[in-house]
Amino acid sequence: MLNQRLMTDNRPVYLNLIKIRLPLAGIVSFAHRISGVLLFLFLPFSVYLLEQSLHSAESFDSVRQLLNQPLMMVLQVLVLWSISHHFFAGIRFLLIDAEIGVEKSQAYYGAWLVLLAEAVTMLLIIIGVCS
Amino acid sequence: MSLYVLEGLRPWVIQRVSAVYIVLFILYASYCFFTADVIAYEAWKGWLYYPFHTTVTGIFVIAVLFHAWIGMRDVVLDYVHNIMLRIFIFGVFVGVLIGSGLWVFRILLLSVAA
Repeated sequence: MLNQRLMTDNRPVYLNLIKIRLPLAGIVSFAHRISGVLLFLFLPFSVYLLEQSLHSAESFDSVRQLLNQPLMMVLQVLVLWSISHHFFAGIRFLLIDAEIGVEKSQAYYGAWLVLLAEAVTMLLIIIGVCS
Repeated sequence: MSLYVLEGLRPWVIQRVSAVYIVLFILYASYCFFTADVIAYEAWKGWLYYPFHTTVTGIFVIAVLFHAWIGMRDVVLDYVHNIMLRIFIFGVFVGVLIGSGLWVFRILLLSVAA
């Protein structure tokens, strides 16, 4: 009888991650985590670049040349996104800790605001660097 | 998991205090970068080895190391459930963080030696 009940039961036994539609605030939250992990992974390489940029005028120029390579450009955009997203989403979480923007509709707009702020920041920096 | 890796409220507080400092440092450093006349070797070295900037950068590095440790620790606690694997990954993280930290401090303190 127990078996019968289990077989006709339609409750999900496990969570199908593909079928769950994450709300925007959830996407921002998960991206905060991914960007944090990426920043951790960039850490040793950043320290290496810091050392090279300070060692001598020649090594400073070699860092510049290294960063101007196409592959490094892609990496820098990824770093820029990680910092921008982690920065603004992190400020949002600090505000939520202070009980600002906790309500559902506010949380939705807060998440949008984070994406808007990071997009504008990235755009301004990329335009500033290219010009 | 009974292994003591900053449990309870303390990491929560450290995560937020370090976050606030990191935000302030990034704002100040960005301001200096975007108002700088030239981005060149001497100017860059002069900026970082100016005692005030060496100090706030040193504090920034400490803040980042604690922030990264707590963040990565939380990620591992959420996704890795095998205790031995956790301890191994924590060991790698601690090695990377302390190694990077010592390396940065060597760079920052070279200005004192020079």
